[in-house]
Amino acid sequence: MSAIDHYINAIIVGGGAEALEDGSAAIEAHHLLLAIAAHEGTAAHRVLLAAGLGRQAIREALDREFEHSLSAVGVSVASFDLPEPSRDPKRAPKIGASARLAFERGFAASTGKKDLRPAHLLLGLLDTHIGTVPRALALAGVDRADLMARARETLAHESW
Amino acid sequence: MPAEETPVPKDPADALAAVVALRRLADQLEDAAVEQAMRAGWSWPDVAEALGVTRQAVHKKHSKRLISAGVTLRRRQ
Repeated sequence: MSAIDHYINAIIVGGGAEALEDGSAAIEAHHLLLAIAAHEGTAAHRVLLAAGLGRQAIREALDREFEHSLSAVGVSVASFDLPEPSRDPKRAPKIGASARLAFERGFAASTGKKDLRPAHLLLGLLDTHIGTVPRALALAGVDRADLMARARETLAHESW
Repeated sequence: MPAEETPVPKDPADALAAVVALRRLADQLEDAAVEQAMRAGWSWPDVAEALGVTRQAVHKKHSKRLISAGVTLRRRQ
């Protein structure tokens, strides 16, 4: 397996752990973003960190998006006080529709498999104005277009 | 919140995001509520009836999780 194959595998495994923690049956795009932010040693990780988007900051932005979206229909998470449910640590979440789209967009952002790097996958996650990821970033005051520009910049100058 | 005060999202993006968030909240509530019921000694058929689903569905969705958490489950009737 090439380095990018190992990386994609690590992001899927990391995204799966995030989905499990969420109680989500599927790995969605925002789980992959959390996994990219938690995986050190890539330009994608450096771009996120430089924008103040460490894993924890992204988690908080996602929580805010969840609360914000619920409040639009008059629902407050705080009004539910059931105990935290147990998770099945052996369950392997499947790749969801939003994660699949993000991978496709990331692959399309590269010129081919040999060119494909982590920053392309980050671009794939950022290259949409629809869904949980752009909504969470907007609520956190992050300029998505600027973040994409920075990711593209690293692709021109950095090997990984 | 009284019904007359409940806001209606004007932007389709907000309305659609609310659907996603409500599904997620419903899933979280289901996990917590089923576990709470089973820990309180409810049976699978009773939980299934309360949720309006078949007992096979509720068993398939929750049994592994609860067994690995060490919850003592009543036998299926």
